[in-house]
Amino acid sequence: MALAEAVLATLILIATFGLLIARQVRGAINCYAAQSILLGGLAIAMFAGSRLPHLLALGLLTIGIKGIAIPAVVRFQVRGSTYQRREIAYYVGFPTALLLGAGLSLVGLVAASRLPFHPYLLSEPVLGLAIAVILLGLFTTMARRDAVLQLAGLLAAENGVLLVGLVVSPELGLLIEFALVLDVVIGVAVMGFLIARMHETVASTDTSELTRLRG
Amino acid sequence: MTDTILLVAVVAFPLLAAIVSLVCPDRYQIALALVFQVVTFGLAVTLIARVLQVGHIDALAHWLYLDSLSSVVMLVVAIVSVLATVYSAGYLRHELLERVIKADELRKYFVLFHLFVFAMLLVTISGNLGLLWTAISATTLASAPLVDFYGSHEPLEAAWKYIVLTVAGSLLALLGLLLLYQSGVGPLGNSYDFSIPVLAGAASHLSPTLAATAFLLVLVGFGTKAGLAPMHTWLPDAHSQAPSPICAMLSGAELNCAMLGIFRVYTLTAPAAGAATLRTGLLVFGLVSMIVAVVFLISQRNFKRLLAYSSVEQMGLISVGVGLGTPLALIGALLLMVTHGFTKCLMFFATGNLLLRFRTTTIPEIQGVVRAMPWTALLLVGGALAIAGAPPFGVFISEFSIISGAFAGHLWVLGAVIAALLLLGFIPLVAPFHRMTFSNAETGGEVAQAELSAVTLLPALALLGAVLVIGVWIPGPLDQLLHHAAAVLTR
Repeated sequence: MALAEAVLATLILIATFGLLIARQVRGAINCYAAQSILLGGLAIAMFAGSRLPHLLALGLLTIGIKGIAIPAVVRFQVRGSTYQRREIAYYVGFPTALLLGAGLSLVGLVAASRLPFHPYLLSEPVLGLAIAVILLGLFTTMARRDAVLQLAGLLAAENGVLLVGLVVSPELGLLIEFALVLDVVIGVAVMGFLIARMHETVASTDTSELTRLRG
Repeated sequence: MTDTILLVAVVAFPLLAAIVSLVCPDRYQIALALVFQVVTFGLAVTLIARVLQVGHIDALAHWLYLDSLSSVVMLVVAIVSVLATVYSAGYLRHELLERVIKADELRKYFVLFHLFVFAMLLVTISGNLGLLWTAISATTLASAPLVDFYGSHEPLEAAWKYIVLTVAGSLLALLGLLLLYQSGVGPLGNSYDFSIPVLAGAASHLSPTLAATAFLLVLVGFGTKAGLAPMHTWLPDAHSQAPSPICAMLSGAELNCAMLGIFRVYTLTAPAAGAATLRTGLLVFGLVSMIVAVVFLISQRNFKRLLAYSSVEQMGLISVGVGLGTPLALIGALLLMVTHGFTKCLMFFATGNLLLRFRTTTIPEIQGVVRAMPWTALLLVGGALAIAGAPPFGVFISEFSIISGAFAGHLWVLGAVIAALLLLGFIPLVAPFHRMTFSNAETGGEVAQAELSAVTLLPALALLGAVLVIGVWIPGPLDQLLHHAAAVLTR
């Protein structure tokens, strides 16, 4: 079972990398959906090993809300030209983004190995993968110019935080899940509203159009 | 039991106000807001009085918790919110008359306004750290659409930057809180109540490395929300694009809520991680914020951005005050949370009047305010002197206490650096308001020679009176509250 969990955690990191390198908005949303479904799967795998019932609830909630509902809402919000558009705009170059992403993953793994960690249901390397997911998600938000991809980066980083919650304590994971679900649902609503407003105002979701406020 | 009901009621009322506001006809929105916010204010004051009597209130299995530290923030949130409601009544009526907004937009404004107040008050009464994080995040989600209220290009840009950066900060803070939980697994077991009283009871037994890392992440995460440099870049945009009453709440009240999150985790992690280590973090971020703010204050041509950078400076100073850790500096920092909150609120009300009359935020485009709006001119000059730290206003006493605290702790160089930064920021803050008020040139025939209305003046005059009174005499209950809160920070 530990092997299955380690494989799932690694796949979550790979899905986050997919988000970083995705060339289209559609691809990025799919990567986020895959990351969320894998995370839900990990919680269910932990339930299978521990029989803690809230892990099952957490897994199903994650798959339902983050893996299916939120990607569907975001797809609906950005339907049309943006959804299909090839999006290669980074604030840094693509190779640099890849290199920095790899570096951040290493930082996550090394940082976790330095922390005095009490293993519970998941092992220390999973903590490293989780911190790497957070850093990659935040980096995607900072490196991408498209608002939808920035939002996807934040949502991916939130999944990383939830993974840390699962490592630290499954009981706490439930509390954090409720907090995050609330945050994600309202956050997606607010950010979705702002993305729709961007469409109206600058006829694009490219945040490099939003540079009037300076100084 | 009564205390529990009061704690629940103080957040239930603004939440109920938001729900009622959603279905209330447009013409009753303002009256409804006034009724609900006055009741909420009354409940908050009653709770603070109870905390002064009993020390702290702990309810619903530690989910709700109010002590003197959070009461200081509750006091500011309650006063700023009720006065912002009154000011909104005058401000929005004027915008309706001028057709800047439509009547049906009042509903959106007040629903979000009440939710914003609800979230800020929830921050002050959160006993569970997961709830505290949720409440701080909720303040962003409720206020971001208010930043974008006018719906043009610049407010949209400000709102987007605000939400992306502060949500990213919130995630780092949550990671910090998770590590804080992990730091308590040794003494408290794998599954424990993640609340302030429980963690405080085991604070000296937490894992030092994890506790220090947790605090650093929370400092960066909630520090982003509090406007500490270098994570402050959203603040001048958001605080300059929102409607003026919302700017007053963002600068006067919301920043304090984020600081409360930082200080709460500081009190829990300091015994294990070492107060000196954590205070270094507060000092570094505080001083960097003050330096960055002074640089941008000097080159500012927009009066709302000028006030926003002043908030970055003052949040930096509050952080420095707690970072110094001496009793005088702590009292000064806590008093500054109150006096800065009141004074910045007053300044956004006064500049809101300017904006309504002159329809610009560009400093060189406004002249002769003393002739056009004599009461607003009084507020502008008095408020500018107060916020810049001139005696005899409350901000001066707060800043003087912090600098004295540094000298009392034999930190001579640090005290001198703080004083120098405050002096450097003084003229850039006062001069623009002096120029707009007293320069002789006329502004053009279309500007009427009259104040807007009493409703747009009275809340600001009340605040000017309050910061003047605090400057010469701190009322007994406030003094007691500040001393108790300082004791919480050093426990």
